[in-house]
This record gives sequence, structure tokens and C-alpha cells, in this order.
Amino acid sequence: MKALLVLFALLPLGFAYYKLESAIDPIKMLYNYTGVGAISLLLLSLVPSTCKRVCGQNLLRYRKTIGLLAFAYTLLHVSVFIVLDSEFDFITIFEKSLKKPFIYIGAIAFIILLFMALTSFKKLFAKLSKYHKAVYLALALALLHSFWAQKVAGVFEYSVVAVGVVLLVERIFHLKNNLLYNAP
Amino acid sequence: MHITPEALFEARRDFLKLGAGALVSSTAISQLLADTPLDMSLMYTPDPNPLKLSPNTFEQITNYVNFYEFSTDKTAPVKLSQKMKTDPWNVTVSGDLKTKQSLGVDELIAKFGLEERIYRFRCVEGWSMVVPWIGFPLYKLLDYLEPNSKAKYVKFTTRHDPSLFPDQAKGIFASIPHPYVEGLRMDEARNPLTFIAVGMYGKRLLPQNGAPIRLVVPWKYGFKSIKSLDLIECVESEPLNTWQAIDAKEYGFYANVNPAVDHPRWSQAKERLLGKLTKQETLPFNGYEKEVAGLYAGMDLRKFI
Repeated sequence: MKALLVLFALLPLGFAYYKLESAIDPIKMLYNYTGVGAISLLLLSLVPSTCKRVCGQNLLRYRKTIGLLAFAYTLLHVSVFIVLDSEFDFITIFEKSLKKPFIYIGAIAFIILLFMALTSFKKLFAKLSKYHKAVYLALALALLHSFWAQKVAGVFEYSVVAVGVVLLVERIFHLKNNLLYNAP
Repeated sequence: MHITPEALFEARRDFLKLGAGALVSSTAISQLLADTPLDMSLMYTPDPNPLKLSPNTFEQITNYVNFYEFSTDKTAPVKLSQKMKTDPWNVTVSGDLKTKQSLGVDELIAKFGLEERIYRFRCVEGWSMVVPWIGFPLYKLLDYLEPNSKAKYVKFTTRHDPSLFPDQAKGIFASIPHPYVEGLRMDEARNPLTFIAVGMYGKRLLPQNGAPIRLVVPWKYGFKSIKSLDLIECVESEPLNTWQAIDAKEYGFYANVNPAVDHPRWSQAKERLLGKLTKQETLPFNGYEKEVAGLYAGMDLRKFI
């Protein structure tokens, strides 16, 4: 089942590779595929816990896989930035690009996801899992980065905001109920 | 081997349809005549192309556009614009000039003739292309219009017609304020490079490229090259162009291509030429420095973005 999930999630990459030859703006296309993939999977990784509370389905065993897939997409996205867009020009990357909020907001989101990916294995996860709440920050920053990437935001960004708000409202309700229930 | 040129092939089909229509009724004929597509091919003087630029393919140029009147997506306008009616089309000229009037696109073509200009085109977003435009230089039109001494700027406005442009029908949910407005200083407008395009690759413009008539200013970022022109006015004060109105910190009136001045959010030093996986250096004034740098002598180009 997990293998199927991975295969399904990586399908868009195969499609992007197939389209690369004839792409009109190939670098932009790779940015879009990897960026949209990363944000979508990040959002999807928030769904299992919602699902458990709302529909009683326990899908939590897939959460780590989804999270790591989101990180894989993020890593590819950063690679496009370093390899194709900047052509390994690290001086420009550090002196110019990282000064721009649009870029460093994305970089912070990447560092958060890198930390989560590195601490997603049993031993470290036991110790550091509480810090994995930072995924909310990473998603918010990634979304802001996506809004800033173009002249005006499109349907994708607003859809992610809409789904994100629904997931967040459910969590707030759940938290409030818990507090009331546990009140002395 | 005989291959019928596309235009003749289409014409022959239309002629056959007319013949068939005559058998039915005369109203059918007039209906068919009204539906007969505009001859898309144009006669023009080719560009000798001294810079040896190699144009992007017709397929690339017609399938990757920014046309927010249809959609903010790069490819969606291609489908959304196919039914756009661009004939007949009149451009109104008014403001501080001799005679206010309304001129048909074909009238303009007949008056000023057509020539080809193979120009670099650089979008503020960081991509670029080379386009073989067909049209006439704007100064020819301005010479004909005879602006008076009050006219310091030329203001351009895109047609406002929600039946043509879906985004204009969206009210407060529109992606940008409509109608789209652009402007040039009179000396910029009179520069021989400044061009009014009605075609590309030997044919009339396709709707997604700003049919039937648009501005092309090759040394400025692409958003200055306003599409589907409705109104050209000679005015006294600097027009507030749409992107400046949206965010003056990011987009100015001048918008000259300048690799030394970054967009607040991204670098402008390099560009992605459509179809290429590697980037290339962006040139000052998009490679037209020799022709236009003099227009901005003494101006701080970091300030006048």
C-alpha cells in the first residue's frame, strides 16, 4: 500500500520528465511541478490526523511516508534553484538571492523540512517529535513563497489556503473541545 | 509537386461553400459571407535581421502568454481566446492632437504599410523570447495624428468588453484592474524602435498574442507592450500604468530592461529564453542600449524603475 502511495506521488515527476523536451519554459515548468507537488503533499500530510478524528479512519501510518515524499519534492525544487536557475553560482545565491524575502522564506521552509526528514527515524523521532509541529510554519512559509513567486497568485494558492483553513478550523475545534472536556 | 498554400486552400473551401449556398438561398450566401474568415496572411517588408537573432517558434510564441484579460495562467488564454472576435476592430485616437477619430485596423495597415521587426522580448518575470513581429512604427501614426505642443505622453488602453475578455466580467474578483493602461513619454513613443504590431510570422496576430493590434516596445519589460488596443491618447501628464497602480514599489512607469536593477523579489541579471534549459545574460535595455540609452541621460535608473 505504501509502495503504491509512493508510486502515485512520484507519477507527476515522470510526467514532467516526459514533457521536459518539448516544454516552452522548462525551468519554470520544473519549479511548478516540484513546488506544487511539495505543497500539495505537505498539505496532504496534515490529513491523516484530521481523518482519524472526523471519520474514525486511522491513516496515521502513512503520515511519515507522505511527509518524506513532500521533502523529496522540496529537495528537487531546491535543486532546480541551485543547478538550473543559479547554475551553481553560490556567490550570487548567498550574496543576492538569499537577501530577498521571497527566497529566504522558501529557504527557511526547506530547512524546517530538512530537520523533520532527518529526525523522522525512530530513535530521533521519539526525542524530537514535538518539534515536528513546525510543519505548520513550513507550510505557511512555503505558501507565502508560492504567492510571491509570481506577479499575482493563481487558483492553486487560493485552493491550498482554502483547504488549509478547513484543516486548521477542525484542529481548533478539536483543541477547544478537549480543553472543555478536560476542564476541572 | 503542387501544394496549395494554406490561404488559397481555405479560400477555395469558402468559395465552394458559397456555391453550395447559392443552391439553397440568397440569405444563406450572405450568412456565409459574414462568416468567411479574415484573410490571415499579410504582405510586408522582411527584416534584414542584422543582429542575426533566431526567432522562437510560432508554437512557442503562441502558447506561452501573459494575457490577464483571459487568465493569469500562461497557456489558458490560448483556448479561452479562440472565439474572440477581432474583426472589425477600430482604434480610437484622441487627446491633444489635430483630429480625434476612429481608425480601422485595415485602414491603418493601408495607410502605413507593413514591415517585419525581429525583436527580443523580455518579460519582467524572467523569461524571454525572440519574435518576428509585423506592423508599423508608432511614429508613423503619430506623424499622421499631429499631436499638439501640450502632448507630452502617449496613453494606451486595452479594449474594455467583458463579452471578449472573461476577466473583465469578474468585477471585484478580477485578477487586475480593467481596462489595462500603459503609457510612454512622447520621445519614447517616437523612437523608431517603438512598434505597433498587427501580425507575427507572416500572419495576423492570434487572439492570445493581443489581436488585432498591440504595442511592442522591445527595450522595456513585456508588460509595457499592451495588447488589443482600443484607445490611443496624446496627453499632458504621465499616465498611471496598470502595474504601477497595482504595486508601484515593484513596477514603475519606465520599466526599462535592466540587469543591474533587481525586481524586489527576484534578480533580473539573467533570463530564461523560451525552449532553453540553460539561462542567458540579460542585456541593458534588452540589447537596444545604443538606440535608446540617450532617452534616459541623467536619469537615475535605480529610481525610475
